[in-house]
Amino acid sequence: MSNHPFQNRQPTKLEDQAYSQARQHFAEHLKQFPTSQDAVKQLERDLAKTTIAVNLAASQAKPDAIPIPTDDGAQWHKGVDLFDNLCVCYRPGIYALEYAVVERFPNGKNEIWNRGHNAVEVLRAFANDQKQALQAWSDDLKAQVTEFLAEKYPSQDMSRVADAFVLKCTTETVSRTQAVTHNHGQKRGGGIHI
Amino acid sequence: MNVVPKPEPPQAPPERLAYSVQESADLLGVNYFSVYRLIQRGKLKPCRALRGKLLVPRSELVKLLKTE
Repeated sequence: MSNHPFQNRQPTKLEDQAYSQARQHFAEHLKQFPTSQDAVKQLERDLAKTTIAVNLAASQAKPDAIPIPTDDGAQWHKGVDLFDNLCVCYRPGIYALEYAVVERFPNGKNEIWNRGHNAVEVLRAFANDQKQALQAWSDDLKAQVTEFLAEKYPSQDMSRVADAFVLKCTTETVSRTQAVTHNHGQKRGGGIHI
Repeated sequence: MNVVPKPEPPQAPPERLAYSVQESADLLGVNYFSVYRLIQRGKLKPCRALRGKLLVPRSELVKLLKTE
């Protein structure tokens, strides 16, 4: 076996088999998690650049641009896209521009995640929240893999396999093609029907 | 005369109480990561299955949709 992130000792044949099954079953996580993680890292790297881009967009605002309404009745203008359906928005305040990170949901709802008058701080706070959300994702992923393996191998301790899988997922790097696809938005189809 | 019993109408499957994160994302039509964002911000309050897996109660999804 090669390239498995088992740290202390080589996996047994059974662990190796379980690992392969987990990789196959959770292939989408293995693709999506690193992509989202990379997007957050890039956001942190580009705080200043993104701020400049938003301010540039604000200075070149077109009067006929369609505003983005939010729950509080405010109207925002799109500055720059981030990732997924997220964008940095701005609106004129009494003394200065106000900034917000807004997520646009398919049902037309626009959710403000972070807002404030300092764009860098707004983006930094948002990036920190995203890291917490990624942590919740990796914790949940470990629980999902543990459950999956417990069903496949009821009498075996597969905790090393679950640990190794999550380690692989959270340390995987994103290929350039994948990153570009992500930046252009991953939209899920389908409406809301419960 | 023999009365032929009418066939019973098919019963609707019982309503699910909770959904996985993937199912919640599909139902809401949002990205997988968006569901964790909603959880992290307390917009969706999940519960945990036996091994700690997150489940989103149906009531939470309905509540989120009603407020939207």
